[in-house]
Amino acid sequence: MMKDRVAEACRKIRQERMLFPEVAIILGSGLGGLADAIEHPTKIPYSQIPYFPVTSAQGHAGNLVLGFLAGVPVVAMQGRIHRYEGFSPDEVCFPLRCMHQLGAQTLIVSNASGGLNPRYISGDLVVIDQHINFLGQPSRPDYVDVTLSRNGEIYHRGLIERAHDHARRNGFALHQGTYLATLGPTYETRSEYRFFRKTGADVVGMSTVPEVLCAAEMGMRILAFSIVTNVALPDHSTSTNHLEVISWSEIAAPKLRHVVTGLLQELAGPAD
Amino acid sequence: MLEIYDQVQEACAFIRQQWNHNPHAGIILGTGLGSLVEQIEVEAMIDYDQIPHFPRSTVISHRGRLVCGKLCGLPVMVMEGRFHMYEGYPLKKITLPVRVMKHMGAQLLVVSNACGGMNPYFKSGDIMLIEDHINLLGDNPLIGINDDRLGPRFPDMSEPYDLHLVDKALELARKNDIVAHKGVFVAVSGPNLETRAEYRFLRAIGSDAVGMSTVPEVIVAVHSGMRVIGFSVITDMCLPDALEAADVAKIIATAKGAEPKLRTLVSGIMDYERARLGKA
Repeated sequence: MMKDRVAEACRKIRQERMLFPEVAIILGSGLGGLADAIEHPTKIPYSQIPYFPVTSAQGHAGNLVLGFLAGVPVVAMQGRIHRYEGFSPDEVCFPLRCMHQLGAQTLIVSNASGGLNPRYISGDLVVIDQHINFLGQPSRPDYVDVTLSRNGEIYHRGLIERAHDHARRNGFALHQGTYLATLGPTYETRSEYRFFRKTGADVVGMSTVPEVLCAAEMGMRILAFSIVTNVALPDHSTSTNHLEVISWSEIAAPKLRHVVTGLLQELAGPAD
Repeated sequence: MLEIYDQVQEACAFIRQQWNHNPHAGIILGTGLGSLVEQIEVEAMIDYDQIPHFPRSTVISHRGRLVCGKLCGLPVMVMEGRFHMYEGYPLKKITLPVRVMKHMGAQLLVVSNACGGMNPYFKSGDIMLIEDHINLLGDNPLIGINDDRLGPRFPDMSEPYDLHLVDKALELARKNDIVAHKGVFVAVSGPNLETRAEYRFLRAIGSDAVGMSTVPEVIVAVHSGMRVIGFSVITDMCLPDALEAADVAKIIATAKGAEPKLRTLVSGIMDYERARLGKA
């Protein structure tokens, strides 16, 4: 039973660190640095938590980190689980269910992505407004906590607005756009980039949507960011490699840190 | 993915017992295109069901054997009959033969298929050189823990098909008075053919021809570092506003009719490769 497995994993996590996190953070390729900014951290390797999938991707460390960021108790996944590693949607979402069970009501998620919108350049930060699910296979977890209502927006409008405020205060542009999720692990062909752009997507990546769908089902507030790590230029073919993706996301990581810590400082203040 | 490497070793060891050569190219023959084999100086023929870990072809109009020998003086491995996603095989199983070809020594993958033409400038019986593809299979043969011995975790796909070879093939077509185009191939899982609305959609997203194969094999070839050239034979025209019911017998007949053209182009490319290697 999914509930029992979540409870067992949470028992183990609480043995390591008794903390009731308010915010769950999932960090993508090359963005693990934000987890290093967590104060009084307890790092638990995924391999030590029952039922946690173990990651294989380069640039993904594989630790659950509990501690405080800007004074707010948080739990962060340093290294995420991807569908292209062969994990099912339920496996991909298992750590998120645990973070929710531990107490987190807000999810902040980030990823590295390819920019399709011609106004984007490598190193830009995008706050995700909507997504297009192009994962092909069932991308929604089998195990459903509650029925997802169609009334609300998946991505929290208020948090998006506040993310813009923090970007302005820190003097950089924050785009707002549509994220398209593919299964991967191949990068896109030029024809696929053209197709995805026509569907209305601004950035394309291989993650985020399974977790976001699960978090929405659990009723969490969701804020998602994409770092543009390469720009897709279908009419001027350039190749993409993973090292380049990682180095651009490291360059852009301070922007993400400003916005996230700014938001958390607000959260630490009076509740809204 | 971690079991694939050992499976490839075992399949290669078995093939080498019967044909111990290093192929320059692996060739995959699609629907109705099997007679290219007649041009090969055959040195070994191995049924798929004898080769360890090979799937079995279940489709009529696809034989199921590996033909090894020489084409235009170059050693080649030819798959007479291929595997499709719609047969129910996982993509990593379908693409195992490509990894075997690579491990035997092949640097080039020549792949062919019969497909539906959506570009209105095409005609049934024309050849299309695949310039790029769109994967609409909803799946990928590289899903799973990556085995770095086989290739990189995130293969670049900015040029999956060798554009220099595409130009060479078009040049050969012109010289031999063959109508050939270049275009974008979109792969769908099938096995049903498309509705008119789907053809409009596929055309709108930028594809010129649609088929149910090829993309898994090409992804794996790129993952393993092979050069790729892909030939599509346009076996029926899929124009959504003037759509005729698909007639499989007619499609196979068109493919057979186009075989001489494909033979000319494939052997021309092999001659070019031999000259390039300085083995003339």
